[in-house]
Amino acid sequence: MSRKTERLVNLTIALLATRRYLTKSEIFRTVDGYEGSTESVERMFERDKDDLRNLGIVIEVGTFDPLFEDEAGYRIKPESYAFQLGEITNQEIALLSLAAEAWRGAALDSSALSALIKLRSIGIQSDLETLPDLAPHAVSVDNNFATAISAINSRKNITFNYLAEDLTQELRTLSPYAVASRLGYWYLYGLDHTRKAVRSFRFDRISGDVLVSGKSSAFEIPDSFDLQKTTLDQGAETIAHIYLRAGRALALRARSLPVADRRSISDWDLVEIRYQDRDTFIEELLWYGDDVVVDSPSGLRSEIVARLQQAVKRYG
Amino acid sequence: MAKSQSSPIEKAARLLDLVPFISSHQGISIADLAKNFSVTEKEIFDDLNTLWMCGLPGYTPLELIDLSFDSGFVSIRNAEILQRVRQLSKEELVVVLIGLDLLSKSIGSDRADISKSIVGLQEKVRAIVGQVASAEPIVNSAYRAAIMKAMKERRDLEMEYHSLIRDQITLRKITPLEVGEDHGFEILKAFCHTVEDFRIFRLENIRSLIVSEDDPKPVNNFNEIDANFQVQLLIRERVRSALERFRVDVKDFVNSESVVIATSFSRDWLMRSVLSTLGTTNLVGPPVMIGEVSVKVKQTLALYLDPIFAD
Repeated sequence: MSRKTERLVNLTIALLATRRYLTKSEIFRTVDGYEGSTESVERMFERDKDDLRNLGIVIEVGTFDPLFEDEAGYRIKPESYAFQLGEITNQEIALLSLAAEAWRGAALDSSALSALIKLRSIGIQSDLETLPDLAPHAVSVDNNFATAISAINSRKNITFNYLAEDLTQELRTLSPYAVASRLGYWYLYGLDHTRKAVRSFRFDRISGDVLVSGKSSAFEIPDSFDLQKTTLDQGAETIAHIYLRAGRALALRARSLPVADRRSISDWDLVEIRYQDRDTFIEELLWYGDDVVVDSPSGLRSEIVARLQQAVKRYG
Repeated sequence: MAKSQSSPIEKAARLLDLVPFISSHQGISIADLAKNFSVTEKEIFDDLNTLWMCGLPGYTPLELIDLSFDSGFVSIRNAEILQRVRQLSKEELVVVLIGLDLLSKSIGSDRADISKSIVGLQEKVRAIVGQVASAEPIVNSAYRAAIMKAMKERRDLEMEYHSLIRDQITLRKITPLEVGEDHGFEILKAFCHTVEDFRIFRLENIRSLIVSEDDPKPVNNFNEIDANFQVQLLIRERVRSALERFRVDVKDFVNSESVVIATSFSRDWLMRSVLSTLGTTNLVGPPVMIGEVSVKVKQTLALYLDPIFAD
């Protein structure tokens, strides 16, 4: 049985129960567990305060009389200690619980568990029956994900090695702003200190561990940072006209628009598709082999022809 | 499930959460408490013994938390101060924020009431932690729920599936066997009655899914998904992209002159992946695969040279 645990709980109770600030000497005199020399008791108290703050408990520091340099006092305001989402309905409890359940067995498992315990403690019946049958699930990401979230929340800078296309690794220093998933991958957004601009990084391309450096509140997330806009903005688009064999290339077809005004070729449909990254798009088109023929732009067409000719030479 | 010995601080956090939990679940068994907190019964017993010593300064029976748990069932009195549920930490709020995003995309337009609740909750959470996380799910949560239900009740599923490898959408009847993850994507291992064999499906490619009303069909093929096809490759450029595509570990790449081996249960997938990366990756074996790629490449090139497609 740990004295430390007991002391932390007793300190929390004492600071929560008081209506006025408690001075250090009052705390040492009345709260169970502060025993030893003045120095060691002081050290103990400093550590305890840090530990409680790390648990997210807000300890207020104040004085009795602002006009005099009185001894500092401490208290925990019940309203800053207690569940902060206000009045909650049965349906909202069900939604919040389901949202936390999504992390079962995934990267943020332990935070999800503690959130669920708190939600269950509120004593409002979760109204699952009124919800459709849903099983949300967050696909697991490695430990770096939890490290990044915690650095974002405490506004601490991080460093990590990032794998470039040619497999070289570059050390990046980042003020992390946000995480977001797109097309099945998790990305980290933040201010890249070398490039002095907001950049995105795919978590699975981070090599090794994300290291947290320095103090909390090392930066602020600027108001101009708009996560929604940042994730949607993927650069300029080019329009391509492409022939798809009738009934084939379904995934391409699904994001295409028909092009009507051109000469038609039987068994082929001419469509319009927009793309951003040329190399990625070429690889996507080649996946379909002879079910896809590019009409325009001519640069795209000639690059594909060049790759095919090279391959004919290579494979005979 | 249960974690090993917790630190004094973790333990203190758990004690602070135990009080409101027990207060709203008076008479709960120690076993259920352990399950809810994901620790051993011994740890809960230990926690209760510590809690028993805690209270308001003075620490007389009047001020101490009054617990009874001798019978194996726990009730609590005299704990008004700690009875409040603690606030959600920032990490917990982010967990909830992302979870709500994952949920919201699967809510049909017929349930605007739920969508509205979700938006309201997210606004409350964002007001505290900021706009620090968002998620765009690629799998419909209702499909996942249907798979879980079918596995639990031992029922078959009727599924419309888009195979990118076959470039086809097909209707299949399957017996779901196992849900898992493959390189960050959710997969379903199932017996497909349409082809009478085991298949692996990617959840994001399911186009529709219902639990079948019919009695489940017997799974009468006990060949596991075995065939592992291999190709030998030289990766010249865009190395990271090629390794990601062929799912080869970065550590297995030496240089552009050293062969890497890509493996898959699907020969078609390997074939299409080789076609995709014609510009950056050379196929060096097996010879039969090279022959097939050669035929496909010539057919495709012939189309580009055909006057009908001339630009």
